[in-house]
Amino acid sequence: MLASLLHRVFQAALILVAMTVIVFIGVNVIGNPVDILISPQADQAERARIIAELGLDQPLWRQYLAFVSNALQGDLGTSYIFNQPALEVILQRLPATLELAVFAMLIAILLGIPLGLYAGLRPESPISRTIMAGSILGFSLPTFWVGMLLIMVFAVQLGWLPNGGRGETVTVLGTQWSFLTVNGLTHLFLPALNLALFKTSLILRLTRAGVREVMPQNYIRLARAKGLSNRRIIFVHALKNVLIPVVTVVGLEFGSVIAFSVVTETIFAWPGMGKLIIDSINVLDRPIIVAYLMIIVVLFVVINLVVDVAYTLLDPRVRLDGTKGA
Amino acid sequence: MTGQRMEAPLQTNEEGRDMAAPLLSIRNLTTSFRNDGQWSPVVRDVSFDIRARETLAVVGESGSGKSVTAMSVLRLLPPASSRIEGRITFDGKDLTALSDEAMRAIRGNDIAMIFQEASLNPVYKIGFQLAEVLVEHRAMSQTEAQAESVRLLDRVRIPSAKNRLDAYPHNLSGGMRQRVAIAMALACQPKLLIADEPTTALDVTIQAQIIELIKTLQQEDGMSVLFITHDMGVVAEVSDRTVVMYRGELVEADTTAEIFSRASHPYTRALLASIPHLGSMRDRDAPLSFPLVDHQTGAVSEPKETVARPNQQAEPLLAVRGLKVRFNIRSGILGGVSGRVHAVEDVSFDVKPGETLSLVGESGCGKSTTARAIMGLAKYEDGGITFNGKPLAGLTGQEQLARKRDVQMVFQDPFASLNPRMTVGQALSEPLAFHTSLSRAGIRARVYELLEGVGLHPDMASRYPHQFSGGQLQRIAIARALALEPKLLIADEAVSALDVSVKAQIVNLMIELQERLGLSYLFISHDMAVVERVSHRVAVMYLGEIVEIGPRQAVFGNPAHPYTRELMSAVPVPDPQRRATETRVPARELRSPIRAPDFQAPKRMMLEVGPGHFAQADSDGIVTQLTSLAETAAQTRQPRLAAE
Repeated sequence: MLASLLHRVFQAALILVAMTVIVFIGVNVIGNPVDILISPQADQAERARIIAELGLDQPLWRQYLAFVSNALQGDLGTSYIFNQPALEVILQRLPATLELAVFAMLIAILLGIPLGLYAGLRPESPISRTIMAGSILGFSLPTFWVGMLLIMVFAVQLGWLPNGGRGETVTVLGTQWSFLTVNGLTHLFLPALNLALFKTSLILRLTRAGVREVMPQNYIRLARAKGLSNRRIIFVHALKNVLIPVVTVVGLEFGSVIAFSVVTETIFAWPGMGKLIIDSINVLDRPIIVAYLMIIVVLFVVINLVVDVAYTLLDPRVRLDGTKGA
Repeated sequence: MTGQRMEAPLQTNEEGRDMAAPLLSIRNLTTSFRNDGQWSPVVRDVSFDIRARETLAVVGESGSGKSVTAMSVLRLLPPASSRIEGRITFDGKDLTALSDEAMRAIRGNDIAMIFQEASLNPVYKIGFQLAEVLVEHRAMSQTEAQAESVRLLDRVRIPSAKNRLDAYPHNLSGGMRQRVAIAMALACQPKLLIADEPTTALDVTIQAQIIELIKTLQQEDGMSVLFITHDMGVVAEVSDRTVVMYRGELVEADTTAEIFSRASHPYTRALLASIPHLGSMRDRDAPLSFPLVDHQTGAVSEPKETVARPNQQAEPLLAVRGLKVRFNIRSGILGGVSGRVHAVEDVSFDVKPGETLSLVGESGCGKSTTARAIMGLAKYEDGGITFNGKPLAGLTGQEQLARKRDVQMVFQDPFASLNPRMTVGQALSEPLAFHTSLSRAGIRARVYELLEGVGLHPDMASRYPHQFSGGQLQRIAIARALALEPKLLIADEAVSALDVSVKAQIVNLMIELQERLGLSYLFISHDMAVVERVSHRVAVMYLGEIVEIGPRQAVFGNPAHPYTRELMSAVPVPDPQRRATETRVPARELRSPIRAPDFQAPKRMMLEVGPGHFAQADSDGIVTQLTSLAETAAQTRQPRLAAE
């Protein structure tokens, strides 16, 4: 266990190094920030001074080495726009995105698993057919369109919920959180629902497929022959087996909801990382882009590790080094 | 006849019982399944009784409705797509009329069931799965259930029971898992145990242990057993009375002794005729096909004598010398080799043209790996394989193609080895199109010829695999293997998954093809009785090594190695008169061929105990034992020769 964990950390470090190279070359290709940062009125000497200050006069490999040596000391560069350390700027936005992602996933899990169970256990019933048809809508409707529709209905026409922003926040441990106030929760609900729609459909369909696969298994027949109650057969004997593939997908989707909730954050004016990265790309704020991508890579690696550990807890046949038990 | 029917169980159970009220009584049971809105009966009008303390065997081939009958008793079939008609009375209660809740109180409590695979939930510990029955039906606390679980595991003779509670099913072998399932079934001291093919997936030695265990526990607890099986040998071993089912109907019910000695229904006679009897070939040296009985008329076709004899002086078609196959087990950060599976260890044998050599042994003994190495599907570390005089190692591309034509393989599961999206005709013509220069018409003619050669109609070429029965599919698989006129056919458990009567037909087909085409077979099987029927010579494998090899008559008639004898004594005898009274096989787990990376396999010595009959001598004790055996063998041979 410990050996394989160390193995994973080693792998993660390799991935990080590879990512820095790719990201560094990538951001250099998309455009020169000098054109945007320096006003056209600035004279030649002023230009040269700023370029030298930003270190942009150095060859790419020197810039890269400087970035790596700074990064190793926890400094991912200073934002050109905010004039603050990039990491600090991102971490200020992280809680907003995090609480949105957690809420979205919670909705998806709390809706998806029970509905999937129901649809899997009674595949013929009209309710199940309705659930399955609904899940196809969840898959196919574009997020931005559903987001605007939600605002139209609940914020504009019914006026029940606010149409954007974070609302009231409470400061805990030096960061601001919305979900601790009623007003914040009302702001959180619509964007979280918007994000959850696709995830719910995904989890629902996976759960249903799992139930359909597990229920005819011999161990379920044995559990029935043992005289156990239906409740126990479904929630103890079947559910744990059904959840094995679901856990993997939930983990990966959680990562993607943090990293790519750009559209929803933009529509609901949610001040999270997604909105930040879009703004930063527009103004070519290189340090922010690089730092953001680094953080996302770390996040994915960590989530994958957590998923793998959860996997071994659910399925004793799987060991962390990837081999199946005898 | 009816008189005997009533008397026989009385003799087997002297204790007073209420003869008037059987424990379980099934009357006119008809179970139907719904398919596309249509109800089709799978079990029709079946009636039988089980009395207290009695063992009733239900035999029949796949699709005969024997499992469905058992599932109907416990009402385990999905209520939406199944319908049970008739009356099932258990202990005075009408099971078909009980509420779901009342039925649940009977399941696992008064009537317990075990299945073919032990069917334990893979993600929960053994202890958890045992304890939940006790908590459910006997209202125990967790700690009480824990202690009782240990006692139950002890009862089913699981060594160091206490430590096994924390084991997961995959940590245990198949035999041990089945013991756990039995422990679970016994948890509430049921009045009736339904055992649905409980030993079918197990090796013979383990099967003998499990049957022994069920019999002992039955005597201790005084329960009745409904034993479902397709194996007449097992029936003879366990049951007081026997019910024979055929295509959803009960065709015969009587005491087991009656069934075996005076079966009246043609199907029962057909079933009995097709059972291989171990030891029935004592006086023959060549293979013999099975007698076949027509299921409807009862007409018996006598087995055909084989006339061709392989020439023992001829150059071997296949020569295997010192074959070693090992698999590395890797672990740790750098993936270093932490151990090795010695799958095949220093194996040598010859197969002569027109000869059948059988490789026998329990699962994991390396017999299939040997076959894969010969087919070029597994890399071997050391040793040589020579086919038709040419070593496999140094073949050119052309020669390799030729070798692939000459060596063909037939697998255990015919359905899995045929592409479901290809018609049978396409499957058969594929090798022809690739390896030969036949025209389209020529290929079609050859396909028809092949189908007829294995006893199928040429019209069937346009059908898909799912439209055939298992026996027909295995015929097709054999036809495909024969398409390129190979010299050697490797049959890897080719008849193991088939029903007895179908098994007999396929074995007969293989014997006939050998006569007609002069084929050599490498016949891999764990079924000793079938092996006795088909082989000229036999090699017994254990933990990757050949422990005994020789002419079939010598190995079966005069087994020299202790393991060979153990294997033979474990085969159930299909004769209720010769039922074994005590444990014939010591409770033993199959040992593992996993060794440390630096393990040096000890040099083995093979001792000749008879002409062409060799047995492994690995320790001094066995050497002396074998030497004395060789001497007695020599002595007994002399007088017999003199008598002739």
